Amino acid sequence: MRRKLIYPLLAVVIIAVGLLTINLSLGYKPALGLDLRGGISVTLRPVGTDWDASSLDLAVQRIRARVDSVGVGEPEIVRQGNAIVVNLPGVNDTKKALDLVTVTGKVFLRPVLACAQDTSATSSTATSTTTAGATTSVVTSGSDATATTVAASATTSAATATSTPSTGAPGPSRHVDSRPAADSTTTTSVSTTAASTTTDGTATTTPGTGSTSGSADVPTSVSGSTTSTVAGATTTTELLQSNPTQTEILKTRDGEICQVGPSQGDGTVFTKDSAKAQIINGSWGVTVDLKSGSGGEGVWNALAAECYNGTSTCPTKRLAIQLDTQIQSAPTVNADKFTGSVQITGKFSRHEAESLAEVLNSGALPITLKVEAIDNVSATLGKDSLRAALIAGAIGVALVILFMILYYRRLAVVVVVGLSISGALVYSATSLISRFYNGVLSLSGVAGLIVSIGVTIDSYVVFFERLKDEVRSGRTLRNSAQRGFKAAFRTILIADAVSLIGAAVLWYLSVGAVRGFAFYLGLSTVMDVFVAYFFTRPAVLLLARSRFMSGKHVLGLDSHNEGTQPTGATS
Amino acid sequence: MTAVITPETPAARRSRWGRLYHGETRIDFMGRKWWGLGVSATLIVITIISLLAQGLNLGLEFKGGVQWELPAAHISRSEALSILKADGIDTSNVVVQTVSASGVNRLRIQAGEQSIDVRQKVITDLAKKAQVAESEVSASSVTSSWGSEITKSAIRALVVFIILVALFIAWRFEYRMAIAAIAAMVHDVLISVGVYSVLRLEVTPATVIAFLTILGFSLYDTIVVFDKVDENTARFAGARLPYDDVINVSMNQVLMRSLNTSVAAVLPVLSLLVVGAGILGAIALREFALALFVGLITGSYSSIFIAAPLLAELKSRSPKYKSLRAPRAVGPDLERLVLGGSPSAKRDSSRVRGSGAGATRDENSSVATALRTPQTADAILTHPPRPRKKTRR
Repeated sequence: MRRKLIYPLLAVVIIAVGLLTINLSLGYKPALGLDLRGGISVTLRPVGTDWDASSLDLAVQRIRARVDSVGVGEPEIVRQGNAIVVNLPGVNDTKKALDLVTVTGKVFLRPVLACAQDTSATSSTATSTTTAGATTSVVTSGSDATATTVAASATTSAATATSTPSTGAPGPSRHVDSRPAADSTTTTSVSTTAASTTTDGTATTTPGTGSTSGSADVPTSVSGSTTSTVAGATTTTELLQSNPTQTEILKTRDGEICQVGPSQGDGTVFTKDSAKAQIINGSWGVTVDLKSGSGGEGVWNALAAECYNGTSTCPTKRLAIQLDTQIQSAPTVNADKFTGSVQITGKFSRHEAESLAEVLNSGALPITLKVEAIDNVSATLGKDSLRAALIAGAIGVALVILFMILYYRRLAVVVVVGLSISGALVYSATSLISRFYNGVLSLSGVAGLIVSIGVTIDSYVVFFERLKDEVRSGRTLRNSAQRGFKAAFRTILIADAVSLIGAAVLWYLSVGAVRGFAFYLGLSTVMDVFVAYFFTRPAVLLLARSRFMSGKHVLGLDSHNEGTQPTGATS
Repeated sequence: MTAVITPETPAARRSRWGRLYHGETRIDFMGRKWWGLGVSATLIVITIISLLAQGLNLGLEFKGGVQWELPAAHISRSEALSILKADGIDTSNVVVQTVSASGVNRLRIQAGEQSIDVRQKVITDLAKKAQVAESEVSASSVTSSWGSEITKSAIRALVVFIILVALFIAWRFEYRMAIAAIAAMVHDVLISVGVYSVLRLEVTPATVIAFLTILGFSLYDTIVVFDKVDENTARFAGARLPYDDVINVSMNQVLMRSLNTSVAAVLPVLSLLVVGAGILGAIALREFALALFVGLITGSYSSIFIAAPLLAELKSRSPKYKSLRAPRAVGPDLERLVLGGSPSAKRDSSRVRGSGAGATRDENSSVATALRTPQTADAILTHPPRPRKKTRR
């Protein structure tokens, strides 16, 4: 019997101390929320009703990718019900924050005017041509195209500078096949030269903004351009907002920089949820269905024909699929007419294919997010709040412990040790959650924890009052402890269950601060049950047998009461 | 060994506080139920009048708009107003308050909805004027649609919460207890809202969180009381005791627990309010702690003065208890019921301690008395410990 009590007791103490030691030694700390350390919080909500949960999830991913690319420390981007909450600690610039979070999930289909490897990735045309050469069915091969474009830019390199020095097809080649007619993979390389020369014509008709000169990254054309264009290119890489009605320079996921024409269609040409990643001809690719009618096939085929024929608006024969400011894929078009569905093949990994399919699906049902709330929190205000909460919390706990000692005398030892164990467990859990699940402890969470002190103490009070009742009715302390716990644990379970229901409902159905509060209330409620059963019970049962607790006065029951008893338990 | 039956109960010799401390109270709660209900009814009427007359002082998050907050050491209210005017904000509806935090005065400025640019411009201008860094200026802006959205989501959460909890209590105890518990909870929220309405305190999301906590706490307290009632109902089932008595007994038995818990819960909150918000001046904490403080007190009060009498009313009308309309037990009678193990019963049980081999500390008391049959009427209600079997494993 004694062993049955000592083992869980030791186990709980070891778990609590062990977890705390691990956390402290590894330096895991609870990450503080925005209201405790300052920064900007933005709440977004989709406009209208034409969106679904997956497009919202994708928007969260997109925002996270953008925030990560800028390098904000410990950002918190979460979907809460139908809202997205983005917390950017340490960020003070409202404009920057808003730029970071503005994503649409809107997919644009834009003709590719020219592409080049990013200078930061590769600096020689040689590499880009070899990659091009490695691909299977792409026709326009590097050297040729470069030569022509150099000529082109040399002739036209005026202030307008929409030189489009195309290096031809770079990177992994992706080409679009019409499923029924997938024959026309080769040929048509002749048109490239014509195309790139005529591009200049188009560029002048659509007077691109200065940013178009970014294509000067291609080493061969640097000679023809000024240094300022390089600067232009670097600014475009940080482009956070895209204007699909103009010619722009965008990055692809493979590190290419491409110049793309105005958008000629968007993701709504695809049927919703039809894009699937699957193995096509032995490698991963994506198939997607087109909507029938002019809004779907009509738009797509017009664009496909343009690119397939390599007209002036689509000299590279590639079609860029753009999401936000990034080109997700720029496959070469291998047919001019598509019916029903489209295949996109190339050197995709499984993961790439799946993510492209996801993008296409989200594009079929784009989402427009509206900024509902922005909150700048000053760093000092947050620090003050945290300090005040910690000091107040410590004083509160000290008062409670004092009260327990006055009321329950020696039994209060259990309360003190129990509270320390609960504290260690909650601290460890919070640290681990911060470390691995990106959770943060906000002011409302701290408040939830302070409130939970009351709930935790209540478990002890329920148990001890029960125990005293039993002792009063004449049972031995040892017996009372057992019976008392049984009855008290029933009460504790019911009461904690209600707390837990409350916390869960709040967590699921609310947004923002309420959620943090609910989470920590729930966490400490679970801890309460755990500690009550595995610590308080064995601890009190063992104490009840020891000399430490002999005599009723240690419980706060006076000797007067005992005097009425014939046996005189003590003395 | 005193084998006489003392006419006086031990508790009667104690002072009122002594009895409270030892959990031997004999308060006739049910006899005073109209006091409690009357006070609550008055408070609720005041709440409703106040809500109708002046409503709630809703914070920015519910109305929509922009709020800036910054240290006010080098900027006055009129200077702040002129900055706002210069940035093109209609200052007729602008509210400028001075709040004190950490011994430093802070300026809090609230205006209607503004564009992002204006909002940022004001931050820059205010920071320049107040001679602080821009990061020292807190600003929050909320669209009014979002305000109504979070209000809606809070109400939805509340409704789901109430339904689930009612179902849980009905399943675990009975539906009458569910009704009484929910009524007590609504009472608590109404009164807390009333305090906010009457005193014109600002309702912020922190306040809403606090109100939600109140719900949880009120229920928690009520459930502990009801658990005792439930237990006593079973215990007194054979005695055909009126339900009022069952409640009275239960309430006296849990009174100390209820008070202790409330004190234990209020102490940290009070510390938050006095030390955190008062002395250290954390504004965010004040909003929270105040609502909690009010709520905790009404929560403890309502579980005893609202939930229990309501339950008694509901239950007394049930078929089982309808016929049991006896005058309530009061005074010493009540006390005997409360104490369960009354002096006579105690003496019976004391035998166990001496004879049991496990009772180590009173070996000398093996002169234990013989087992006597209970003599008093209430003995049937008590469950003295069974004599321990001689053989132990």
